[in-house]
Amino acid sequence: MTIFTHVLATTLGVKLFGLHGKDVVLAYAFGVAVDIDHLIKMPFYLRTVGLRNEKGYYWRSSLQEPVAFLWIIPLCFFLGTWVPALFFAIHLAMDYSVRYEKMPWYPYSPFVTRGWLIRMPDAAKEIGLFAVLLCSTLYLLLKRP
Amino acid sequence: MLDSLPSLEAAIGSVSRPVVRFLHLKLGLSPSQLTWSSLGFSIGAAIAVGAGHLQAGLILILVGQIADHLDGSVAREFHLASPEGARLDTLVDRLSEAAVFIGFLVAGLAPAKVIVLAFVAIMLLTSIAERSRFDPGFKRWMLYFGLWVPYPILFSVIFVANLAGFVIGLLILDIKFQNRMDALGGDLDTIASRAATAETAERVPRTEPA
Repeated sequence: MTIFTHVLATTLGVKLFGLHGKDVVLAYAFGVAVDIDHLIKMPFYLRTVGLRNEKGYYWRSSLQEPVAFLWIIPLCFFLGTWVPALFFAIHLAMDYSVRYEKMPWYPYSPFVTRGWLIRMPDAAKEIGLFAVLLCSTLYLLLKRP
Repeated sequence: MLDSLPSLEAAIGSVSRPVVRFLHLKLGLSPSQLTWSSLGFSIGAAIAVGAGHLQAGLILILVGQIADHLDGSVAREFHLASPEGARLDTLVDRLSEAAVFIGFLVAGLAPAKVIVLAFVAIMLLTSIAERSRFDPGFKRWMLYFGLWVPYPILFSVIFVANLAGFVIGLLILDIKFQNRMDALGGDLDTIASRAATAETAERVPRTEPA
């Protein structure tokens, strides 16, 4: 999923759950900012592919795979809030609906999956979800209290 | 901890060499016996701390850590190092931390939640440290600072440092795997599964011909 869809989903979640203060920061950190691993992979992409646009490159890392729950759940206990785990789960659910390869338990397991809803075209899922999230967010933002 | 500071390790090694030779040549102690003795000292430390004798407990933790250091020194000095010995050392290190942490829990020096989380973070880091070769080393030795810093803060530092170490370790392994994928080349759509298959094949132990 694109960063815009993650931002929309997180914004909607923040509104729906009525989050404030540090919980909002945590929601965006674990709902959106975990995508920072794409920046970590950027030098590898440039080294291997170069400046051209090559689809299918493996941009993911364990920072945004289910294996990250191993450190996110203890962090939730430490911080006394389930916001990181919840928004990370939303991020994961969205990413796993796109059909590229993923390694959910690496480095503990070499298991590779393409996720779920893989028969539906990725573009249709992305556009459909984006539209639903946009409408829902606008409704929540514009409705009278 | 000393593993991450090679120069300090070398300096201490040169000082401790006579002790190492005495322990092995005169007393006949093996690296494994020294490893297990470090656990004995840690259990003693746990009992002392749990009974309210913090300073005695800290001294016993120190003695246990010295024994833990000497087992590796004896192994290296007399060429007795082995993968099994390294695994035993890691196992006893974690058992020692578990014992010591229980002592602090019984003494009520820090909330149970923080102590348990600190141990969980250490276990997570340990689970990948051998492959990632990354360990910031924030474990038992942090407890000596308890003479000046409250233990809830120290256990929180142990938790955060080890959890951060775990995340960094995961990223190190990801980067290694990315290098493997990039070297493999070919169809990008199946690159992860092909690299995973290659990695799995490498890990399968080779059987000697009959």
